[in-house]
Amino acid sequence: MKKFAKWLFLVVTVVVTLGVTGNMNTKADSNTPATDQYLSKVKAKGELVVGTSPDFPPYEFTKNINGKSKVVGMDMEISKKVASDMGVKLVIRRMDFDSLLVALQTGKVDMVIAGMSKTPKRAKSVDFSNVYYKAGEDLVIKKSDLKTIKSYKSLAGKAIGAQTGSIQYNLVKNQATKSTLKGMDKDTDLILALQTNKIDAIALDQPTAEAYAKNTDGLVAINAHFKDEGEQGSAIAFPKGAQSLVNSANKSIAEIKAKNLIHKQYLPNAGKYLATGKSKSAKAANSMWAYKDFFIAGVGYTLMISAVSVVIGFLLGTLLALMRLSKNKIANGISVSYIEFVRGTPLMVQILFIYFGLGLVVNIPALLSGIIAVSLNSGAYVAEVIRSGISSIAVGQTEASRSLGLSRSMTMRFIILPQAMKNIWPALGNEFVSLIKESSIVSIIGVKDLIYQSRIVQADTYRGVMPLLITMILYFIMTFGLSRLMKFFEGRMTHE
Amino acid sequence: MNNETATPVLEVKHLKKVFGKNEVLKDINEQVSNGQVICLIGPSGAGKSTFLRCLNMLDQPTSGEVLFEGQDLTKLDDKQLDKTRENMGMVFQSFNLFPHKTVIENIKLAPVKVKGEDDATATATAEKLLKQVGLENKADAFPASLSGGQQQRVAIARALAMNPKVMLFDEPTSALDPEMVGEVLKVMQDLASEGMTMVVVTHEMGFARNVADKVWFMADGYIQESAEPKTFFEHPETDRAKDFLAKILEA
Ligand SMILES: Nc1ncnc2c1ncn2[C@@H]1O[C@H](COP(=O)(O)OP(=O)(O)OP(=O)(O)O)[C@@H](O)[C@H]1O
Ligand SMILES: [Mg+2]
Repeated sequence: MKKFAKWLFLVVTVVVTLGVTGNMNTKADSNTPATDQYLSKVKAKGELVVGTSPDFPPYEFTKNINGKSKVVGMDMEISKKVASDMGVKLVIRRMDFDSLLVALQTGKVDMVIAGMSKTPKRAKSVDFSNVYYKAGEDLVIKKSDLKTIKSYKSLAGKAIGAQTGSIQYNLVKNQATKSTLKGMDKDTDLILALQTNKIDAIALDQPTAEAYAKNTDGLVAINAHFKDEGEQGSAIAFPKGAQSLVNSANKSIAEIKAKNLIHKQYLPNAGKYLATGKSKSAKAANSMWAYKDFFIAGVGYTLMISAVSVVIGFLLGTLLALMRLSKNKIANGISVSYIEFVRGTPLMVQILFIYFGLGLVVNIPALLSGIIAVSLNSGAYVAEVIRSGISSIAVGQTEASRSLGLSRSMTMRFIILPQAMKNIWPALGNEFVSLIKESSIVSIIGVKDLIYQSRIVQADTYRGVMPLLITMILYFIMTFGLSRLMKFFEGRMTHE
Repeated sequence: MNNETATPVLEVKHLKKVFGKNEVLKDINEQVSNGQVICLIGPSGAGKSTFLRCLNMLDQPTSGEVLFEGQDLTKLDDKQLDKTRENMGMVFQSFNLFPHKTVIENIKLAPVKVKGEDDATATATAEKLLKQVGLENKADAFPASLSGGQQQRVAIARALAMNPKVMLFDEPTSALDPEMVGEVLKVMQDLASEGMTMVVVTHEMGFARNVADKVWFMADGYIQESAEPKTFFEHPETDRAKDFLAKILEA
């Protein structure tokens, strides 16, 4: 996932330097009168789109409510208040923590609330509201280690996990220099790593740590005793220059503080959800069944993305292959460059680029972005499959056909392609199978495919391994079933 | 058989074909009149196949003219060329049947797709041609299940189905086992006696001697000799031809 962060950074740098916004340098502080259009735009839309990464109880986490996964938690209650103070509806977008600020900068969301600490570094690219909550740092450890681990200092020579890009990540990096730092993208993965002894402790902020400890058997939270590095606590992030939104949020935060709503109302509410989460995980044996709709939906999306992409990829690939085989130098050049470029760059970056990069010009929803990226990618690979399928047909076939008076295109249609398809078909089947697996990467932009759903189930149930196992089995059923199906058709074709 | 006075069906003037730096055909000037059977012989690599492929423009000549019924093919566009090729059947050394189609589909394909014949007509023609080449019981077989000789006879039938005015043969028996050469030559001989205009590249000297009206001997990029078979085989003029014939007889 570190790789992801790196790519993301690259994409964002490119995108941002390509000139997203001209007012990067405006300094914001809470008393600045607002002259920008952000608030009026939000009001005009009638909705405030909030980005969050719901794996961070009690700030934000997901809850299976009547079969639907909902984002709940303290931050969500704050968001509700901020939105209602603005007089608009609240819309929640889930994404990876690392993607949040990119989404903010590229206008995919209006604000980000994710237990995110206000750091000077982040403040360079976004504007923050006032701090609404400040908590200390804890370590989540196994109960059995309670006697030996007293603070981060007891963990010399051991591994400490933290969410990549988080405050705790930097604290461990700077202070626990004798320990190994393992960064992961999801808290749920960290918990899993702790339970399976991959790491010895997780650095989390206090309420989150306590929430996990309370809801996971065998884990406890202790004070990490990190030195204060001047953390500012959690604040809401807005696009650079969105002073009108900052002001409005600050007003809401002031009211929340005045009425002590966080401690009186929000945290206890979050705790209630967590409590039912506990009782749910207690009924572990059948709890996965309760999430069957999630897995079914995930399989549906994964199959849909792969199937649509393989069809578009096939059409595009055929076109590219014919261009590549044509005598026209321009067509040939375009095709060769496209194929080489797409095959020479990771699908992950292509997906990010389509979603975030192209998203600057036209707003493409995540699912569509994912399908476009995977199709465009697949097209390049299929083109090579088709090209080699066509090239494998002896030149005598073309000569015989042309000598009979068939035109170039008729020859392609009636003689070459039907024969080439026998070679292409199995390769195309393989492509479909690998698309099913590779398309899992669209979950990074929040497409609700199987991987994404398994993440939700993990977060909801506090169970790490079971959802993964089920996901793996589902992937296997899809790929194995599909390759069997292909074999069947292949057999029928050679029968002819 | 000979009516050399009529307009030639095929005529080449100063035909030249270069592959990179390799001047394969240097300056060819010949004509083929209606009903004539020409046998083109010469050493390997002389450019016989290249010449044949220039006649129906599967290879684009570097310069010179190729006239079919008086029309210069080198000046035609793709569409007109496709139209012209309908009238020039070609048979290849390696048969080149379409392996994904049955024998009768191989034969019917061009009449149906190119000429727009209806299925019944095309089928009737195909059956008649299969009978002519002695393969009426193989209509529904796939090419892979046929012997080389049978495949080549199907290939001839396929070319004939377009009702061509000229048939071009490029070493039609060279890829065959010796016992199958006869059956193919027999079909070609029948065709010749029915008055088909034919240009045949071959190493079958017996066929050339008995069936051809004229033998062209090609070497070094030129047609070195163009003569009646009897004259050519009994009194070759050039040293190149004498050499070639001596080697053939040795073999
Ligand atoms: N497409 C091509 N590109 C380059 N060179 C070619 C091509 N086709 C033929 N040649 C060359 O042209 C020359 C004549 O080849 P061609 O096949 O016409 O000879 P041939 O007389 O038919 O010989 P053979 O009796 O072996 O069939 C050879 O040197 C061959 O290498
Ligand atoms: Mg040859």
